[in-house]
Amino acid sequence: MSEPAAAVSTAPPVARTALAFPGPRRIVDGWELTARHATGDLVLADLGPLVKLTVRGPAEGAVRAALGTGFGRTARHDEGALAGALVVGAGPGEWLVLGPAGTGGELLAATRAVVADSGEFASVVDVTHGRALVRLTGAAAPALLAKVCAIDLADRVVPDGSAFRSSVARVVTDVVRDDIRDELDDPAGDGTARTRSYLLHCERSSGQYLADALVDAGTEYGIEVGAPPSAR
Amino acid sequence: MMLLPCPNCGARNVSEFRYVGEAKTRPDPTTATPQEWRRHLYLHRNPAGWTRETWYHGSGCRRYFAIERNTVDNAVRTAGATS
Repeated sequence: MSEPAAAVSTAPPVARTALAFPGPRRIVDGWELTARHATGDLVLADLGPLVKLTVRGPAEGAVRAALGTGFGRTARHDEGALAGALVVGAGPGEWLVLGPAGTGGELLAATRAVVADSGEFASVVDVTHGRALVRLTGAAAPALLAKVCAIDLADRVVPDGSAFRSSVARVVTDVVRDDIRDELDDPAGDGTARTRSYLLHCERSSGQYLADALVDAGTEYGIEVGAPPSAR
Repeated sequence: MMLLPCPNCGARNVSEFRYVGEAKTRPDPTTATPQEWRRHLYLHRNPAGWTRETWYHGSGCRRYFAIERNTVDNAVRTAGATS
């Protein structure tokens, strides 16, 4: 009597983000994500698959100039070596580079080249699988965040394109205001209408708690979990 | 709630910070006597009034900085960064 053959999976490996939500799942770019679709006015989307790099170096100098932004501000690169990446000034001498899913190797090499060309010493580390990243989109987003974060989110203090790190639901979180273009409700018709949107970035082990806390706090605003309204 | 003025992040809730201690000068390890080390490590002035202290902004910029704080009424004024 022979032993039954061990089941050998030939499927490609699937990565999982820090967040899991009840309901169906789907595989996108090798990442398992919730298949739920959010159609409401306030949406929490899991952006865990985005490539995340941390850069550490001198706060004011050639690295800062090469990355195009400093502490507290963001820069979206449309061209050049970092095309498609969002660079966030996460702290003094600390940057977070976000890129489309699946571009990890190229973006890491490109960022290292940019840093090397600057002539200063700085470290570039891929932390894609070590962090959680969500996008909170909707006009009620600042009201929701005000329940769990002590920072004044008014335009005067945190305008579009700014970033800060603070305690959100008692988790140390990078908060990035990155408003998205509003395709459906654009009264001027010139593409200037924007919907409030925040990227929230924290350590992976705190990600599920942070997402659950945001969903809990957003219940009164009708928050939904699902696919992001924009690709990035 | 008590606000502390972080030189990098601005005024933040004190719960974001860790108290490090009174800011003081470390004695030269090559010449300090055991008595001087003990005094440096374990004895503090603890005045009723203004004191210069080091805080760490763990939930924000993750940097150390110095402030001057009045231990009687918790009034705070900035004193710049520490080494």
